[in-house]
This record gives sequence, structure tokens and C-alpha cells, in this order.
Amino acid sequence: MSTQTLVDLLWVEKYRPRTLSEIVNHEDVIRRLQQFIKEKNMPHLLFAGPPGTGKTTAAHALAHDLYGPDYRMYMLELNASDERGIDVIRGKVKEFSRSKLPTNIPFKIVLLDESDNMTADAQQALRRLMEMYVDVTRFILIANYPSKIIEPIQSRCAVFRFIPLRKEDVVRRLKWICSSEGIKCDEEGLEVIHEISEGDMRKAINILQASASIGDVNVSNVLKVVGLAHPREVREMIQLAFDGKFIDARDKLRELMISYGVSGTDIVKQIHREIFGTELAIPEPLKVEITDYLGEIQFRLVEGADEEIQLSALIAKLSLLGRAAKAVKQVK
Amino acid sequence: MRKLPWVIKYRPKKLGDVVNQEKAKEELSTWIELWLKEVPKERAVLLYGPPGCGKTSMSEALANEYGLDFIEMNASDYRRKVDLDRIARTAALQRSISGRTKLILLDEVDGISGTADVGALETILEIIKITVNPIIMTANNPWDPKLRPLRDAVKLIEFRKLTKTDVRKVLIRICGEERLSCDDDAIDFIAERCEGDLRSAINDLEAVAEGYGKVTLELVKNLLRQRDREYEPFEVVRRIFISKYAWQAKQATQQTDLTPDELIQWINENLPRQISDPEDLWRAYDYLSKADVFMGRIIRTGNWDLLTYAVELMSAGVSLSIINDVKGKYRWVKYSFPQKVLMTARTKEVRQIRDDLAEILAKHLNVSKSVVKSDVIPYMRVIFNNNIEVAGGLALSLNLSESMIRYLSYQNSHKIVELMNKLKVESSRKVDKLKADKVGGKRKDVKGRAGTLNGYFTNKPHSNQ
Repeated sequence: MSTQTLVDLLWVEKYRPRTLSEIVNHEDVIRRLQQFIKEKNMPHLLFAGPPGTGKTTAAHALAHDLYGPDYRMYMLELNASDERGIDVIRGKVKEFSRSKLPTNIPFKIVLLDESDNMTADAQQALRRLMEMYVDVTRFILIANYPSKIIEPIQSRCAVFRFIPLRKEDVVRRLKWICSSEGIKCDEEGLEVIHEISEGDMRKAINILQASASIGDVNVSNVLKVVGLAHPREVREMIQLAFDGKFIDARDKLRELMISYGVSGTDIVKQIHREIFGTELAIPEPLKVEITDYLGEIQFRLVEGADEEIQLSALIAKLSLLGRAAKAVKQVK
Repeated sequence: MRKLPWVIKYRPKKLGDVVNQEKAKEELSTWIELWLKEVPKERAVLLYGPPGCGKTSMSEALANEYGLDFIEMNASDYRRKVDLDRIARTAALQRSISGRTKLILLDEVDGISGTADVGALETILEIIKITVNPIIMTANNPWDPKLRPLRDAVKLIEFRKLTKTDVRKVLIRICGEERLSCDDDAIDFIAERCEGDLRSAINDLEAVAEGYGKVTLELVKNLLRQRDREYEPFEVVRRIFISKYAWQAKQATQQTDLTPDELIQWINENLPRQISDPEDLWRAYDYLSKADVFMGRIIRTGNWDLLTYAVELMSAGVSLSIINDVKGKYRWVKYSFPQKVLMTARTKEVRQIRDDLAEILAKHLNVSKSVVKSDVIPYMRVIFNNNIEVAGGLALSLNLSESMIRYLSYQNSHKIVELMNKLKVESSRKVDKLKADKVGGKRKDVKGRAGTLNGYFTNKPHSNQ
């Protein structure tokens, strides 16, 4: 790594396709979107699919192709991190939607990322705007779970489904990035990245860049990176819980949540990964029982108010099962 | 010598010491004398009456008076059929080694739950039929429908609510024995407000005397009123944990200024300190988790009607979950202030840095902050910990602050900052040069977004110049 770049970009950003033609997969979707560009007309759109499959990228590329490099002038973008309650919909979004249409474009675009996280009230307000200003403004809604979008909105949108990326697409893309960056990589290393990222391109590229930062992209470096990126605290927490050291396990949990800022749902997911991983010796029947409770707690995390209490219940369950596991071992 | 609480210290030793309750005394004596001759038709009695009127005390005094071995079981001990079988059945069917009659007390039988403690009442009924030792049971409310079969099988003895005069008499005696200076009006006040509950009156007297060494009306009024109004958080938590009944636990939650969301934090913090049995702990936590779900629903829907369920689950749900290690809940442990609140305050700065960083990245990458925190920052940490050169470049392109760099890699932060500053100088020189040369475009697919990010710098050919 001696190439003297002055400034580095995160590769997810650096290698994000800017135009529709640069997007290599989802051929059917892209072809239809390009048709909209040609006709300079389109319905409201709903892009649905799991994370890292290119929904946001496609929306930006579409706007880019439609308006040119300065496309952001004609698009109101509300990210998931922005406030998108009913007040914002009635204020900012309405203001933009009904504003006069510049003469050089056929319509403006409102892009709502992670719109499935919007409240039902906000969605109702949104639905009215979609109806009233359809002549000057089109909406692109992006969602991981389209079923969380209210029915009347779904029926007003052309729905595009984005599926997890195929292995060969991911590997090809990663290989191309490696060659652009002048980085040595081997096929197995890239395949492992695909496996871990589960078709999530964003994750795949992040892992690739982190792996490249410690050397060649091969299996051992990739696994090392994944190990480093996921704090050991999760595994340690599980082990402490299994050993019946509840208070110590809870201290780890607090470290994860408060110092690292890992969300409750992510901790549940990481525990899930550990349970089915190879590092911890867990009796098979217990895995099922833990999975059952993991699902329950993930649900309660969404419904509840305090993540620590929910995860503490999970730790309590783990220490109870840990004792059972020990009893089993002793009988054996 | 260990200091005994006054309620125990001044417990009546002989029947004569028990205040009032003359009729009950007589009935009980007759019954036990019958027992000492033969096994009577009514092998068990049920003493009933309001709290603190002397039911348990009289049973103990009775055992002393007649020289019987006294075996006591609390409601919490005989909730489960197996416990009853183990303790009560053996006690009921065997004479003690000394050959003395054993007096068995099953305290607070109305505390047995008809649903949760399946089979407990039936077992008691069975034992009553065959016992060779006298059994006394106590209850506040014998008319509870679930106690009906029991009512039919035993002799009922009523205890009356104590009068103010009865209570006064005992309090004055205790004051004398403790050599306490007690004002008459203070004693009156305590006797008045205890409403016939001698136990609570003695506890009140002790509480005042303990703190001040004398008992005056002013002290009593101040101290007792305060106790009525609110307990310290520690005290509330303790009261919740040791509750035997759902209403007790719920009542404890009402004697505090803590809001429900504060209270649940206090319980969450101290529950694992008090409870060590894994099964009890999990059962309690499962209810706490459900209480939290209700809290979440209240916050989201504004439906405050749900609050009562949340509060009941976090109090009664927790205390009644303690089944395996009931003794554990009376164990004295040091409680602590909710650490989460402290940690959140202590780590405020770090969390602010993290959130600012997440916001920058979220804007760049068009994703939510939570995705950044889970899917981007962990990998950036790997880079920052392992590759100073790349880290320096990234830090510059994202315009990260020094504290953000320190957040990403504590050990490398100095070197990365140094490198970033060096790059900054070099790149501004290059910009000037490029501007002078009027070399504009030539950008490939890499474009700057934010003002800080400039397409020129990312183009490798330039950097090789």
C-alpha cells in the first residue's frame, strides 16, 4: 500500500454507480427505469428490498440521468436520519411538492429513504400530497419492508423489487474495485466476503476496503477484519451469561450499547450469529431455544421502551440455559 | 448481642402476655388441651382477623405455654406442593424425637394462589385429615372463596381488631422497658393511626425511638407523615422485592415520587443484585421485559390506561417470580443507583462524537445513521487501527475532527492527525497549482459531494505528479 493518494474515499461512495447504465445487475429494473427517462415521464415509485441491494443508488442514478450532474437541485431527499414525522410531511415536503415547476424539467422528485419507518399518520399525510401534486412532483419511496407501507400508497406506486445480489455479480464488482485500486485479491477471499455480506453490496465493499487496509484480500485477512469489526464483547457477554455471571455480562452489554453505540437489534443479531458460529460450544437443542427467545426479544425491542431491559431479559435467559447446559455436560 | 427488631423482641412469651383476644385465647387453649389428651375431631384451626392483631404471636405463645415444638411455615415456603410434602407432611405425621407434640403453624394461608400454586390447598386438606400433630393456620380473610374447603375442614377462631387502648398499653410497656421518654400524645398519635395493627405501631415506635432516642408528638408527626408519603428509592425497591402478595408490591410502587420509567430502571439495576437463582431471575426479567413493552406502547400511543399493567408487571410480576430462592429476597444487599443513567451521563461526550461522525457518514453514503453505526463505523475502525495512510486520507476527505479520529482509533490518532494535516497542506498547494494550470475536468466517476470533498484530490494521476 504505497500508492501515494492524498485523499482516500470510502469505497462504497467512490465506486457507487452514478448513472443507471453503470448499475450492473437488476437488468429488468434498470431497463424499465431507463424507459421512464426516455419518455420523460414516470409514475410514483416504490423501491423495495433488503439493505445493500442498490435501491438508493438506483434512485440517485435515475435522477442523475433525468436532470444531469446537478440533479440535487430538483430533488428533495429525506434520509432516514432526517426527521420525517407528520409535521415535516405537511411542512417541508408539501412546500417542495407544490412549488412551481422549473420549465426545463418534466417534474420534481421527492426521495424518501427507509419510508417503511414512517408512522402511519405521516404516511397518510404523504398519500394526500402524492395525489394533489402529481402533475409537478413524483415520489420515490424506498423501503426494506414494503408491507409496512400503507395500502393506498402502495397502490399509487409502481413497485420495483430489489433482490440480494448474485454471488457472481458481487465477486465481479469486488474484483473490478481491487484492480482499480491496484490491490491483490484471491477468488476465495472475495467469495468469503460475499458469504458474510449475504448479498449486501454495501457491506461487501466495506469489508473489502477494511481487508485491503491490512494487506492482501485473502480469506485470512477477510476473516480477521470481520472478527475485528464485531466487538469481542458480544461473545464475551454470552460466555459470562452462560457462566451465570449476570452482572458482569450486563456490564459488557452496557459497554456495547453505551460506549460502542450498538443498537439493541444489532446486538440480538450478533448474538444470533455467535450462537450458530463455531467459537462457542453450545448444545444443539439449546440453540433452538435461544433462537426462539432471540426472536421474541427482537420483537419486544421494537415494541418496548428500554433496550437494556429487553437485552437483560435475554442475558437472564442465557444464564438459565447455561446452567441447564452445564447439568447436561455433567451427566455425560 | 444481635439487636432484635422490637416486634420480635416484645413478642408475647405466654398466652397471658397477649393483649386482648380473650375469647380466642380461651378457645385455643381448650383445643390444644384436647390435643394433648387425644387426637380431636378438629385437628386444625384457622385463626382469622385483621393484620397485626396477634394471630401469629398467640400461636407462638401457645407453644411456649404448653411446651410444644413450634414449626412455622410462611406462605412463601409452602406455595408448592413438593415443599408442603417435604416439610409439613413429615411434621404432621411424626412425633418429634423428644416425644413432645409439635405445633405446626401455616401462616397466611390466604396468600396461596389458587392458580399458581396448584395443588397446595389440596395437599393441606389431605394433611389435616391425617395429622398427628396440631395445625394452626392464619388468614386475614377467611371468606376468600378458594378457602372454602379449608373452612369446612377446620375450627374457625376469630381474632378481633385491637382497640386503641390495647395498642397504647403495649407501646407504653415497651417505652418503659426501653427506658424511653415517650410523650403521651405521641403514643396516642401512633396508636390512632395504626388502626388496630399492633405490629405496625411497634415498628413506628421503634423507627422514631431509633433515630432520636425520644418520642415526641412532633417527631412522630414529622417522621411518620414522611414515611407515609414516600419512601427512598432503595426502600421502594426492597419493598417490591420482599412482597408476598401482588397488592403489597403494587402498593409499594405508589409510595414513591419516582415515575414509572425511573422506577423500572431502579428495579432493573438491582434485580440481579438481589436475586441469584437463575430461574427466578429469568422469570422476573421476563415480566420486567413485558412491563417495558407496555411502557413502549404507552409512549407510542399515548394510551395511559396501559400504565397499570406496566406497573403491576414490574412490581408484582417481579416479586412473585421469586419462587426457588425465597430466602434470597430477604437477604440484605447494597442497592445502587441505576448505572445506565450514570453511564449515559458519563459517556455523553463520546456518544455525541459518535453521533456527529455517524451523521457525516450518513450524508455521504445516503444511508441512515443506524446503518452507519452497525455497518460502516466498525470497518472504519479496522482501517484506522491498521492503516494510518488510508486513515489519514479518509479523515481528510470526510473532514473528520480530531475527536472523531480519536474515537475511531485511540492508539493511532496522533499519527493520523499529523498525516491529515500534512496532506491538507499538500493538497491545497496542488489545488493552487491546478487552478493555475487551469486543468479542470478529467474527473472520472469520482466526484465530490460536500464542500469539503474535492474531486481533484481523489484522482490518482494527479497525486502521482
